[in-house]
Amino acid sequence: MDATYLMNSLWVMLGAILVIFMLGGFIMLEAGSTRMKNAGHIAGKTIFTFGLSSLMFWAMGFGFIFGDNANIMVGLSNFFYSGAELEGMGLSSSVFYVFQLAFAGIAITIALGGFAERAKLSVYLIFTVLFSAIVYPVVAHWIWGGGWLAEHGKQDFAGSTVVHLTGAMAALAATILLKPRIGKFNKDGSANNIYGHNQVYTALGVLILWVGWFGFNAGSTLSVEDGFFGFVALNTNLAAGAGAVSALIISWVVMGKSDVPTMLNGALAGLVAITASCAFVDTWAAVVIGFVAGILVFYSVRFFEKRKIDDPIFALSVHGAAGVWGTLSTGFFATPELASVGKPGLFYGGGFEQLGVQFMGVAVSGLYAFAASFIILAAAKNVLGGLRVTEEEEIMGLDLSEHGSYGYPEVFMAEENKKLSS
Amino acid sequence: METSLNSYQSLKKWKEEKILTYRSNVSDLNEFHDMIMKSVVRIAQERIKTARPSSWKFAWFTMGSSGRRELGFLSDQDHGLVFEPGAAEAEAYFLELGKEISKGLQAVGYPYCQGNVMSSNPLWCKSLSQWKEQIHSWMNEESLQTMRNLHIFYDSRVLAGEEKYIAELKSIIYGNFKKTPHLLTRMVETSMHLKKSVGPFGQLLAEEKGRHQGELDLKYSAFIPYVNAVRILALKEGIQDTSTIARLNKIMKISGYEGIWKYQKNFAVLLKWRLRSYRESDTYEDTHYIQPKTLTISERNELKDILKDAKKLHLLVIKSIKKGAG
Repeated sequence: MDATYLMNSLWVMLGAILVIFMLGGFIMLEAGSTRMKNAGHIAGKTIFTFGLSSLMFWAMGFGFIFGDNANIMVGLSNFFYSGAELEGMGLSSSVFYVFQLAFAGIAITIALGGFAERAKLSVYLIFTVLFSAIVYPVVAHWIWGGGWLAEHGKQDFAGSTVVHLTGAMAALAATILLKPRIGKFNKDGSANNIYGHNQVYTALGVLILWVGWFGFNAGSTLSVEDGFFGFVALNTNLAAGAGAVSALIISWVVMGKSDVPTMLNGALAGLVAITASCAFVDTWAAVVIGFVAGILVFYSVRFFEKRKIDDPIFALSVHGAAGVWGTLSTGFFATPELASVGKPGLFYGGGFEQLGVQFMGVAVSGLYAFAASFIILAAAKNVLGGLRVTEEEEIMGLDLSEHGSYGYPEVFMAEENKKLSS
Repeated sequence: METSLNSYQSLKKWKEEKILTYRSNVSDLNEFHDMIMKSVVRIAQERIKTARPSSWKFAWFTMGSSGRRELGFLSDQDHGLVFEPGAAEAEAYFLELGKEISKGLQAVGYPYCQGNVMSSNPLWCKSLSQWKEQIHSWMNEESLQTMRNLHIFYDSRVLAGEEKYIAELKSIIYGNFKKTPHLLTRMVETSMHLKKSVGPFGQLLAEEKGRHQGELDLKYSAFIPYVNAVRILALKEGIQDTSTIARLNKIMKISGYEGIWKYQKNFAVLLKWRLRSYRESDTYEDTHYIQPKTLTISERNELKDILKDAKKLHLLVIKSIKKGAG
C-alpha cells in the first residue's frame, strides 16, 4: 500500500475530526447567543441531530450524492454504505465517507440555527431526517457528486454553496414559517435586543469554528499532494482575520460602538466566504473576500431585522449572505494557475463566464434548498399542528418544556430543590 | 387659590389640570413645580403631630433638575434637608419631616428617587455641623460616589427655610476647591461620560433597538454632559446659581470664557425641544428622547452641532481645569 494513499487518508481523517469538532463551536456559539432557559436544549439537540443525520447519511445521503446511475437530481447506489472501496480515490473510501458525513452534519446544524428558541423538538427530528435525505444531498450531488453544476465547472471548493448556503436557505424557510420569538418586535415595528446569555461562549464558539475550518477547507484538498493544503489554510485564516477586522470597523463607523457580536459574525462570514474560493485565489484576494464579507454580514443582519425576520444566531447573514458572496467571489478572483475546476475569474481575463456559472449555481441551489425546506416545514406544520411550542412553553424555556430539566438548574429551580442538589 | 389645596390629593389634581399650560416656557413651568413642592412641604409640616419649636431653623432644598430649574413635565424627587444643630429630638423631628415630604411628593406625582437622594434618607438630612463634616469627608474620600454626591449637592436650591445654610455650605466647598485644585480634576474625572451620538461621518446615532428605536437619547448625549461641564466651571469660579443658563450667564462675564455664549444658546434650545416633544403618554425616561424625523433639516443640523459641541465643551472644561490647577 503506497505511502501517499495512507497520508491522504490520515490527513482527511484529521480534517473529518476537526469538522465534527466544529459542532462544539456551534453549541457554544448558539447557546451563548441565546437565553439561559434554552441552553440545555440547544446543546443537546445539536448532538442529537448530528447523530440522526449520521444515520441518514449512511442510509441515503452518501448514495444520493456520490452514487452511480445518477439522474438529474441524485446518484443511486451505495445506500447503507458498507465501507467498500470506491474506484478512483486516492484515499480510503471510508475516510472520505466520514469526511463527507461531517459536512452533512454541519449543514443541518446551520439550518437548525434558524429554529432557535421556539421550535418544537419534534420539528427538529422531522426536519433533520428530510433535510438529510432530500435537501442537502441534491445540492451536494449537483456540485460535488458529478452532477450538472459540476459539469458546468462550478467552483465551490469546500462548500460556501453546498454546505453554508443550503443550510442558511433552510434556516430562512424556518424563520419565515416559525415567525419571530415572543418579544423580539414591538407593536410599533421597532425591534428589541434579546441578548445572548454568554458572550464568552459565543466567542469561544467562533474560535472553535475557526480552528475547525482548517479541517473544512484545507481538508477538502482530499490529499497531501504538494502540501497544497497549507496554502488553503493560509487563505482561510486571512479571510477570517479580515472579516473580523472589517466587521468591527463598520459597526464602529455606523453605530459609534465596536460591537462584539458583529465582529464575531464578521470572522465567521470571512470563513464562510473563503470556503468556496480558498483553493482558487491569491492571498491578497482572500483578504479582500474576507473584508467584504465582514461588511456584508453587518448590513445583512440589519436588512433581515428591518424585514421582521428574527434570526437569533444570524445564520441567514453569516452562512447565507456570506455564502453567496463567497461563491460569487471566485468568479472575480479565481486565477488561471489555481482554477483546477472551471475558468479564471473576471479580474484575470476570464470574462463573465465563470461569474455566470457561479451565479447560476448560487441561484439554483439556493432556490432549491429554500423551496424544498419550505415545503417540508409547511407540511410538518400541518401534520404537527404548528411548528412552535406554545407561548407559555416559550416563556418558560425549551429546556423545561421539551426536556424537563434545565441547562442551568441552580438558576431556575425552586429553592428547596436547590438545597437538595447542591 | 392655594388655601383650598390642603391635601396631597387636591394638589395632585390641580397640578395635573394646570401643568400642560406651561408648555412654552421652562422658567414658568419651574415656578409652577416650585409652588407645588412648597405646598407639599407646608402640608407635610402640618401633618406631623409633634410641633416644631420655632427655634429649630431649617432649610429644605431640591437638587437635580428641580434644583437647577430645569424640570420638564415629569421628574422624580431629589431633595435634602439641613437644620440648625440642636437636641437629639430635632434630628428625629426633621427626619420624620423628610419622610413625610417624600411621601407627599410621591402622592402628588413625583416618584421616589431611585438613588435615594431624598430628605427621608439620613445621608441627605443632617444638621448644619453634620453637613459640614460630611462635605469634608466626601472631599477627603475622593471616590466616585462621594464626588458624585458633591456634584449633586452643588445643584441645591432652597425652597423652604433658611437660604443662608446652603450658601454657607457652598462657600465651604468653593473654599476647599480653591485650596485643593486637584479636587476639581476629580470632579471632571467623575463626570465626563458622554454618550456618543454623532458618527464618524457626521451622521446621528439613534437607538438601534427597543421602544426608542430610531430616536436619539438626549439625556446622556446632551443634557447631562452640558449640565456637568457647566457645574464644574461654576464650582471653579464660585458661582452659586444653580440653573445651567444662569451659571453660563455669569461665566460668560469672566474674562477668558467669552466663547461660551454658544453653549448657552445650545442648552436653551435643548430645553425648548424637550418640552415640545412631550406627549402625555410619556414616562420620565421617554421625555429625553427626540425623533430626528420630526425635526426640519436645519433643526437636525442644529442638533448635530449641539451634540458635537458637548464634546467641545468637555474639552474646554478640561483645559480650563488644567490651567487653573497648573
